[in-house]
Amino acid sequence: MDAGLLAQYVMNGLMLGMMYALVAVGFTLFFGVLDVIKFSHGDVLTVGAFTALATYAGMRMLGVNSNLLDLIVMLVTATLAMAFLGVVIARYLVMPLRSAPALNTLLITLMLGTVLRESVRLFYPQGANPKPFPALLPRTSIDIGDFNLRFDNVLMLTAGVLVIIGIQYLLNRTKLGLAIRAVAQDEETARTMGINFTAIVLVTFALGSGLAAFAGVMNGLYYNEINFGIGLYLGVVGFSAAIIGGLGSIYGAILGGFLFAGLQTIGTVMLPFASAYKDVFAFAVVIAIMAWRPTGLIREKISERV
Amino acid sequence: MNALLEAHGLSKHFGGVQALDGLDLTVTANEILGLIGPNGSGKTTFFNVITGIYAADAGRVAFDGTDVTNASARSIYQAGISRTFQRSRLSLPLSIFDNIMIGNHKRLNQGLWFNLAKRGDFKREFERSYADARALVEVFEPGLAGRMFEPVAGLPMIDRRRIEICRALISAPKLLLLDEPSAGMTHDETAELMNDILLVRKRNKDLTLIIVEHEMGVIERITDRCVVLNFGRKIAEGPYRTVAADTQVQEAYLGAA
Amino acid sequence: MAGKGHTSVWPGLVALAIATGYLIALLGAEKQNLIIMLLAVGIVAVIAAAWLGLFENVSASFVEHEDALGVCAIGAAGAVAAVFHDNHFVLLLVITVLLYSVATLGLNVQFGYAGVLNFAGASFFGIGAYTSAVLNTYTAVPHLLVLLIGGMLAAFAGSLLLLPVLRTRGHYAAVVTIAFALLFKTFLEVNDVLGGPQGMQVKGMRILGWSFNDNIEIGKISLSFYMNYFVLSLLLLAGAFVLVRRLERSWIGLNLDALRLDETAAGCFGLDIVRWKITAFLIGNFLIGIAGALFGMVGGFVAPNNYTFADSLILVSILLLGGIGNPWGLMVATIIVVVVPEKLQTIQEYRFLLYALMVIAVLLFRPEGLLPRPVRRYFPGWRP
Repeated sequence: MDAGLLAQYVMNGLMLGMMYALVAVGFTLFFGVLDVIKFSHGDVLTVGAFTALATYAGMRMLGVNSNLLDLIVMLVTATLAMAFLGVVIARYLVMPLRSAPALNTLLITLMLGTVLRESVRLFYPQGANPKPFPALLPRTSIDIGDFNLRFDNVLMLTAGVLVIIGIQYLLNRTKLGLAIRAVAQDEETARTMGINFTAIVLVTFALGSGLAAFAGVMNGLYYNEINFGIGLYLGVVGFSAAIIGGLGSIYGAILGGFLFAGLQTIGTVMLPFASAYKDVFAFAVVIAIMAWRPTGLIREKISERV
Repeated sequence: MNALLEAHGLSKHFGGVQALDGLDLTVTANEILGLIGPNGSGKTTFFNVITGIYAADAGRVAFDGTDVTNASARSIYQAGISRTFQRSRLSLPLSIFDNIMIGNHKRLNQGLWFNLAKRGDFKREFERSYADARALVEVFEPGLAGRMFEPVAGLPMIDRRRIEICRALISAPKLLLLDEPSAGMTHDETAELMNDILLVRKRNKDLTLIIVEHEMGVIERITDRCVVLNFGRKIAEGPYRTVAADTQVQEAYLGAA
Repeated sequence: MAGKGHTSVWPGLVALAIATGYLIALLGAEKQNLIIMLLAVGIVAVIAAAWLGLFENVSASFVEHEDALGVCAIGAAGAVAAVFHDNHFVLLLVITVLLYSVATLGLNVQFGYAGVLNFAGASFFGIGAYTSAVLNTYTAVPHLLVLLIGGMLAAFAGSLLLLPVLRTRGHYAAVVTIAFALLFKTFLEVNDVLGGPQGMQVKGMRILGWSFNDNIEIGKISLSFYMNYFVLSLLLLAGAFVLVRRLERSWIGLNLDALRLDETAAGCFGLDIVRWKITAFLIGNFLIGIAGALFGMVGGFVAPNNYTFADSLILVSILLLGGIGNPWGLMVATIIVVVVPEKLQTIQEYRFLLYALMVIAVLLFRPEGLLPRPVRRYFPGWRP
């Protein structure tokens, strides 16, 4: 295989890995603070992407034609809207079920995901069909040998890296982050230290859901298209990535995300006859990893008092 | 005097906490051993390591002559060690009978064909098991014996603890580990419980008991011998009176003078 | 509640009779207005009955006299079929209810008893259906045997998927089965051997020369050919019901409950967790696969679009709505979930959304479901 094609694969893998990592980080945040698997996370991403699309349509109707302005407004609107959605979900669906078996939370969020997905399909105009997503980033590219390096991809990768660094900074260097980590470690102790448990949980959900919106917009910009099912797929991949990375660990989620993308890339190269097989390959390896290291590559912290 | 359970150099740490630190402990057959020590001294961890819930980092455990170090929880049960838990672990939606039968696993026929097809034989085993469970429950709380098919969820804590003990006893274990059986009970209820345990022991000469307790009155009354733990090590051993007078033990509980 | 000691069979019988009559009315109604009215009346009646505490009486009656009432239920099903003996559409609907019930009974063994999550129920159903398609088209394997093979293949596929993650926590099984559900459909679509996106035809069942796809003439009465399938499906459901019942009312059922409720404690009392989880999953998938295999022959047609993740969620919804662990509740929920969108065409498009909303409501306000699972009675009517 020539260098140009290889570079193309690597670029693609990095982009995918970035998106998976963003989704996986969300899952890990939710699991960390509340020990819950929020299965609707992927579908929040979908709603975020469609919110951005609707915002774009609205802005175009108002006559705003600047790509940059459109993009900024779309991002802000989608992120805030999804953060709000995340808070509502946490407040009314997840927290009331805290005393019920964990299974119930998993089921309720799974069903919520369906509600979100079906709502987009049924109520967004032409929601059942794939919708074109505007290309709002600069279209320039440079050729390095055989490889066409697109500027917009570089921009998105950089933005993704910045977001992840931002999250890391938030968690490790701010008081809010400290509170989140305290709650994730031990709810009771955190409460006795004066931390407002409910507020922190809601903030965490807002954060994770905002991340999903960002990932959704990125997804739309990369593929120039969105459809009502993208969240479901990304959610499953992101969740798997979070698991093999080790639920509860941010680094693990990022690692898992890029690992999955890497597996998909290898799968595409090895099994070129149908793109579906790359997923089969990637998931088969994921299942093997789950069997080999059930607590994830970076140990999931489970403490159960016996 | 033959040793039923022997632990040598048992160690177990959780992150930075050394829960068991080179523990040596021997239990003689048919004795009632009290296991005491301040909170966090390793008593429950000791139980958890013996019963295979945690793997020891170092050391050996022998039961009835066989090495059972790091054996699985299942094989420990098969070998004849049974236990109760510090935090009550009953299956709340299930009936009293069902909960006790969980403890009876090794004496029940678990074959698919037997359970699904040979319903006549199954019914006979069911009726035998019902009689056994009922007889056991009658020792501890006759009032429950007629309510064997009520869900455990509706019962008060003291009855739940009694049923947990029945669950541990139904398989006729050689060694029974009781983890704070009287937690949450009044003085009188505790006395009653201990009487019932002694009664069971009288009927079942083979039974050896290790009891973790904080109520010293109980320990004094029913144990033959005590072992005192502190920071995962044994610091004293002997009849209750002796260890209670030991200055090291007093310091462990109350702090240095 | 009826006095302690002896519960009468009458509440159960009356409930069964009313339900049968209602079902016949609903199935026979054609005009949308009439259907909406019937549904409204039904909802009001159910709420009133719940408020009056009648459900407890009926439940107790079913628990005490399950064998007798089971036979009556079979008779009731026969009555429904007799009323619609020449109506292809209604009979097909009834068969769908019967076979979905078998599938959800299987799912119940996995989910409701053993606590093993399976979000790919429709995919395993599809494995059974495609088995029928392939074997009937390319081989001469006797069709009853094809059903068994469909069940076994589904069981085998399930074990491949689940064995690696059995020692891990519940959400691993969840994500693994969801991934399988998503990938299964794509896998079917890219494989032209299996008909690709268009799917495959399935030859109808023939047993010893009797073709199931020909209408039956008895004197002057003409019976829809679906009657053949109806009888077979009813037999399958009865068999599955008895199997699942006996499983629950045995030490095995107890093992499954024990490991679902507290795995650690169960291990301390000798339970082989892996062995029983796998047993439950295999039995459940076997039932799902057989139902799928028969359904493939009934419909005469299999296509990837019928076995999607959304369809798997429908099966899970039935389980949650009906009351996890209660086979009677399951069958009632299956009837509701299958029949109502077919009759009320306007909501067909919205059925995934509606069921998801209903399940959310149930999980928030009545997690036990429609008919909560009663305490285990090893032998109904047995007294010490």
